[in-house]
Amino acid sequence: MSLPNATPSSNPTLLTQRLNRGCNRDRQVHHLGGYAFGPRLRIERYAMGNGLSILLVEDHSAPTVAYHTWFRVGSRHESPGKTGIAHLFEHLMFNETEQLEAGQFDRELEELGAESNASTWLDWTHYEIAVPATAFERVAELESERMQHLVLREPQVESEKEVVANERRYRVEDDVEGAVGEQLWATAFRLHPYRWPTIGWMSDIEGFTVEDCQTFYRTYYAPNNATLVIVGDIDPERVLTKLQAAYGGYRAATLPSTQLEAEPEQTAERRLELTKLTPTWKINLGYRSPALGHPDYLPLSVLTEVLFGGRSSRLVRALVRDHELAGDVRGSLSPLHDPGLFEIFVSGREGVSAEQLLECVDREMDRLLKEPISLDEFARVRARIELGLLQGLSTNEGKASTIGFYEVVLGNPSAGFDRLLGLSELDPQQLLLVAQRYLNRHSRTVIVVQPQTSSESDLSESGNGAGQ
Amino acid sequence: MSGKGPAVFLEQDVSLPLIHVGISTRSGADDDPPALAGLSRIAGRLMRRTAGGQSSDEIDARIDRMGASLGLDAGHSGVALSGVVLERSFGDFIGLMEEALTAPGLKEDELQRLKRETRAELMEVLDSDQHLAQRWFLRSVFADHPYGRSVIGSERSLEAITTDDVRRCLAREFCREGVIFGYAGALDAERAERVSQAIWQKLPAGDGAPAPPPEPVASGGRRLVFVDKPERTQTQILIGGIGSHPRDPDHFGLMVANTVFGGTFTARLTQEVRAKRGWSYGANSSLGYDRQRQSFSMWTFPKAEDAAPCIELELDLLEQWWQRGILEEELDWAKRYLIQSQAFARDTAAKRVGLRLDEILNDLPPGQHDQFVSLVEAVTLEQANAAIQSRISLEHMTIVVLGTYSEIGSAVRAAVPRLTSERVVPFDTE
Repeated sequence: MSLPNATPSSNPTLLTQRLNRGCNRDRQVHHLGGYAFGPRLRIERYAMGNGLSILLVEDHSAPTVAYHTWFRVGSRHESPGKTGIAHLFEHLMFNETEQLEAGQFDRELEELGAESNASTWLDWTHYEIAVPATAFERVAELESERMQHLVLREPQVESEKEVVANERRYRVEDDVEGAVGEQLWATAFRLHPYRWPTIGWMSDIEGFTVEDCQTFYRTYYAPNNATLVIVGDIDPERVLTKLQAAYGGYRAATLPSTQLEAEPEQTAERRLELTKLTPTWKINLGYRSPALGHPDYLPLSVLTEVLFGGRSSRLVRALVRDHELAGDVRGSLSPLHDPGLFEIFVSGREGVSAEQLLECVDREMDRLLKEPISLDEFARVRARIELGLLQGLSTNEGKASTIGFYEVVLGNPSAGFDRLLGLSELDPQQLLLVAQRYLNRHSRTVIVVQPQTSSESDLSESGNGAGQ
Repeated sequence: MSGKGPAVFLEQDVSLPLIHVGISTRSGADDDPPALAGLSRIAGRLMRRTAGGQSSDEIDARIDRMGASLGLDAGHSGVALSGVVLERSFGDFIGLMEEALTAPGLKEDELQRLKRETRAELMEVLDSDQHLAQRWFLRSVFADHPYGRSVIGSERSLEAITTDDVRRCLAREFCREGVIFGYAGALDAERAERVSQAIWQKLPAGDGAPAPPPEPVASGGRRLVFVDKPERTQTQILIGGIGSHPRDPDHFGLMVANTVFGGTFTARLTQEVRAKRGWSYGANSSLGYDRQRQSFSMWTFPKAEDAAPCIELELDLLEQWWQRGILEEELDWAKRYLIQSQAFARDTAAKRVGLRLDEILNDLPPGQHDQFVSLVEAVTLEQANAAIQSRISLEHMTIVVLGTYSEIGSAVRAAVPRLTSERVVPFDTE
């Protein structure tokens, strides 16, 4: 099928003037501007009088609509003893509401042919529904209903706590990499809420009450803490009219301050040793890294690609191919609101020690701190980043996720393309300076996993790290 | 598709400057000699890593420079060299694929390196409880049938593979009669035909698609395979047997019935296990197919103490489904769900090409995916319920549990009525 067809249906300002006739203040929608999103699409930004942010993208290349709701609440908004409540709440949002019996939300979505999912992370919670375009209106009704009219009762909360505890067993307790990653963040951060996992500590999950959930809901699930991103085969007038009807009756809430105390600078390497039931040694490293909105983030993301982007990247080549020390090598730079971690995970091959792995990693990291990367390497990375961005935009779901993520973390929904343009302004010398600023041993945390191949001894921990 | 020449499928979509390319074969791991399990995967990867006689490093750097990715997927009935590339680099990308297919270096040192890497992958699998449970489930359901064999191979079979085996394997798979070209994205038909023809002409003649493997047969009674791994707080449970194939006249009946049973979030299995009891984060049932019927399976992962009651519940739900079938209102709902959600099976050009290739590679009736809606609409309650009884066996069934045997073994055994055999295997058994 499909040739591009993304002509905006009407002038947004004239449209909102028409829609606002006779509406009270909360229900009025205002056009706040537009942004190019790649070469052929456009994001239009609106806000409702009650504070609800709305981002619309008309794209008629498939008869589907992505309807995403982002709330600016994640595990960074939690407190010790109540870790994991943002994630538990994401689960509870699929339960009973004042108008919908338990199970009816999912049942109706399935009947409409929708695909739905949700995710919680450190800075946000994200609900996504992909639906045939003809079913948009009902999705708006269902989503708005659960934003303000969720019913929280003991049986559902207890059952969902058990589900989340099982999710934690699956992702952390019985998963070596999950357990090690959790310890890395708990050791690298001592003050900032990024030190606890989004899924929460098991004892906190078990301790949540209905009252905890009600308080959380009333505090954070409000129109002025949410952004709707709607992408696909839409008519903006029809969409905005429906959103006015669905959300216009909600009032803005008083949101708590999100100013957090900054994590103190790390001045010495931290190391933690764990023993796990796994056949080979593993290491997980985290260097303190800048926030997504910091000017150094983009150069550091280029360096992440230099080290881990594909089979020709430096660390993959050195560890897997040239020296045959590792079976698996991965790296990532956390895209967060506040400073996070530049992470490295290496799973060794049989008989290869953690020290050998670390030595090889350090050799490559030292090279990155001493020599600028070559122009050829830089060109390769730019092409890889361009490919990655475009691949993520092949569906309405992908577009809505990209737009919503950058909007919620940076306040700029088209930042994905801006970053692509920003690459051309970087040069290898700048990258070298950024590497020297962040990729130092004194600012890193190292988790070493010793293999334990039988059940003779229990998990043991040593070192100067932090636990729960 | 052309008359005398390569089979070419294209779905044009110029909305993004990207082109997906896949060159698929009609012969795969099932045609590898059993002693050389893993050959197809190794051969395809070696071909990709030595395209045009270049080094693996040179090739990987070249791919990155283009803004592309290129991989080799090996399956039971075919392999596919496939990737995606920025539109501006398509010429170089297709040139590299041509070099891989027509002039691979197949160097001995690269083969040995690849074998060592694959052995390391086998070691990594020991960390994945889900993967280990799946491996033993397929082994038990399909026994000596090729679908019970691993596509990745074993320590021993990998050791035995030589470059001559690789050459023979590639000649068998990537021959004129056996390859199919698929494209999606910013590419026109004339160019797709032209580049496909250029590659196709350089390929050797071959035998085309080999006969499919024999139909798998349900047998062996109710078998419990306990994969014993220490210190598990949670179990991985797979229960099932052989399912259906789209060629089967009752396949769509079973698909609708399975949607009711465990195919969605509000299905019976998910509601009973997860929503009502909170026993497992995931709980679903699924049907798979290749050129023949693959498995029907239920998957849950409750904590260790809940494993036995969860198995009891699952078997009870299965038995109710088998004996009493589904209800009229459940049928109507499942049909609406399957029909409406079809929009997402074909909302990108790459998915639409995938559906066309699926019909050919897995011996589906031609055009079946296009008729999906009418085939689902036509399913009656009687057909759906008859399909459950004709395709799902309650007597020949595999139950795989990965957990710590010393803690829950006897409770799990007691939870399975009419058990005909039990086997306990250490998790690190190859």
